[in-house]
Amino acid sequence: MIDFFAALLTPQLFEATVRLATPVTFAALAAVVCERSGVTNIAMEGVMLVGAFFAAWVGWISGNPWLGLLGGIAASALFSLLFAWAVVSLHINHVVTGAIMNILAFGLTRYLMMVFYGRQGTSEAVAKTLHHYKFAIPLLSDIPYVGPAFFNQTPLVYLSIISVFAWAWIFKRTRLGLSLIASGEHPMALETLGRSVYRVRYLAILISGVLCGFAGAFLSIENSNSFTEGMTNGRGFIALAANIAGGWRPVGVFIASLFFGFVDALQMRVQSLGIVKIPSEIFIVFPYVATIVAIAGLVRKSRPPAAVGKDFNIEGDGE
Amino acid sequence: MSVSAPRRIRMVLKALSLILAVPGVLLYLASYFWGAWLLLCAIALYAADRFLAVGSAVFGSEARKLLSRAIVPVAGIGSALLIGAVIMAITGYNPISSYGALFYGGLVRNWHISVLNATPLIFTGLAIAFAFQGGFFNIGAEGQYYIGVIAATWMGLGSTLPGIIAIPAIFAVAAIAGAALNAIPIILKVKTGAHEVVTTMMFAYVVRTLSPMFIRAHGGDPALTSHPYTTDLISESVWLPMFKDFLPGANYRLHIGVLLAIGAAFLVRFILMKTDLGYKIRAVGHNPVAAMTQGISVARITAASLFISGSLAAIAGATQVLGLDHRMFQDLNAGYGWNGISIALLARNNPIGIIFTSLLWGVLDAGGQYMARTTQTPNAIIEIVKGIILFLMLAEVIYKRAGSVFGRWAGRFKTAARKGAGA
Repeated sequence: MIDFFAALLTPQLFEATVRLATPVTFAALAAVVCERSGVTNIAMEGVMLVGAFFAAWVGWISGNPWLGLLGGIAASALFSLLFAWAVVSLHINHVVTGAIMNILAFGLTRYLMMVFYGRQGTSEAVAKTLHHYKFAIPLLSDIPYVGPAFFNQTPLVYLSIISVFAWAWIFKRTRLGLSLIASGEHPMALETLGRSVYRVRYLAILISGVLCGFAGAFLSIENSNSFTEGMTNGRGFIALAANIAGGWRPVGVFIASLFFGFVDALQMRVQSLGIVKIPSEIFIVFPYVATIVAIAGLVRKSRPPAAVGKDFNIEGDGE
Repeated sequence: MSVSAPRRIRMVLKALSLILAVPGVLLYLASYFWGAWLLLCAIALYAADRFLAVGSAVFGSEARKLLSRAIVPVAGIGSALLIGAVIMAITGYNPISSYGALFYGGLVRNWHISVLNATPLIFTGLAIAFAFQGGFFNIGAEGQYYIGVIAATWMGLGSTLPGIIAIPAIFAVAAIAGAALNAIPIILKVKTGAHEVVTTMMFAYVVRTLSPMFIRAHGGDPALTSHPYTTDLISESVWLPMFKDFLPGANYRLHIGVLLAIGAAFLVRFILMKTDLGYKIRAVGHNPVAAMTQGISVARITAASLFISGSLAAIAGATQVLGLDHRMFQDLNAGYGWNGISIALLARNNPIGIIFTSLLWGVLDAGGQYMARTTQTPNAIIEIVKGIILFLMLAEVIYKRAGSVFGRWAGRFKTAARKGAGA
């Protein structure tokens, strides 16, 4: 039994934990920004999918993964603007719009797959992935366990960690953070101060689109080398759960994402060890079960923003 | 006891209308297209009955109201098709021949496939709508559909009973399984307020991921560990009756599931509109705080709404197994749970409307496949068109704005005309 755990809890496992947490971290940060501004965003699954597709496509035709990353971010941001237009300007229910966006994203990527690649399933592989740019931070990466996990990674992984602390700072110390929080807690108060709630929410959704673009690009051109239909596999929803479990705070969300990354890494590790004769499906299901458990255990500890998911219509009666 | 003459006429009209409508629907669904004439006659008789009942003035306003309610859906579908055509043209496909194939395939050539597609969609649409009416978003209907498929296959494989006993029992077990899948999301929702979107969704992924294990255990080829394709066939005694048993011209795959689905739509409508439970569900959906002050237990209604929603989605799966597939397939990519969301939204959660939106979706899917086969246009364009339809239908604001702009133009035109007449 001890051997089993020794084989399981290797430095590689912790490295994989941080890696696999990255897309969830990005998407969960996107959820934090949106929900803090009062927008329930279940469209992230679809936005990530669009980002993943365009990252793979731009990366493939240009041969440069960095351009691919930019392409993915641009596509995600544009796609999320459609969401913003629907929920902020047209006042359609947030959850309903999100569901439609997901359906639309799935259809769009499937269609463009046929148009650009002439086939279904998996796209052409990009020549070079972002994983290629992995680098170790000197000294720090020599710390046992923590070093390889956090300081011997790829640029996107570092960026996700930096974003977490950047957003924690933005929420605590800047005007933008304050506006976002006000827009989610008491939009009318923000409006009476002369700041447009519409504009703040548009901005929040746009930022979430950019963050989902990173998450999507991570899936297609860093964790893999091509786009696969439906490759987000529920990560948009897991990110939503991470946001709840993390208490709508960037650092909390990062810890929750690491937990999901760990479950995911554990699942892969146990499967590859092949010690236990259990069908692989049991392990694949880990992250989903973990999400349910996390929600069951943690949801009561924190309070969502007061106006989250509620429409704000300045032309009507305010809320 | 004497009945006045107009009342007697009305009774006759009503009876005739119903007598014509039932076979009309049956025949039309079975690809006997002349059934449409019966349906048209039934509608005309029904209209005559309304006319006699309410008089010409009210009848006229009712007709106008009905027409104006049809404008938004028709305009939405029309504009979405137009946008789809533009996308096709830009990406190098011929929109005219593609749409020609789409509608010929969906409405005429493969109409029976459209009906087959619509059957589970009606159930999942009802499932979503039922939860929506209570203010809940059962986004995990896909998982409940799967559990229904699994339950029906499992029962069907071992069944030795005659169909008349076994089929209702299978439906009951599937319904219970679907409801049970929602138990934990309900508990979490009631106890902690966790949003059902995340929890039901996660259960959908859990069931979906685990389903190959069931297939492997029941006839899936064990050599194909990663892609077990299907289970064994379920016993023939529990197959649903086919249309061809009583209408020899019907397609051999067409089963009576669609009739069950239409029946379920009327039943759901009855529950929501005419029963105490339905009233409470709608009250909670409309305003939970107000419902609470009225003495309605929101927790109990939450549970009832999501339990029934789960069973309806599972019955969709059971119908599919007993009627069409007669086994369970690996990776049912049809996404009946997801499409149920669209269908319920499109019908604005109206159970009778769901029958029609399901048929529309069924036609688009069947026609899309025919289009992809005959014109090489990728049928994923159908998914895009569906998304745009939904978008346009929900964005009432667009139509209100378009309407007011149009109104202003019309107003300007009128004053200009009046001025012209005055001068």
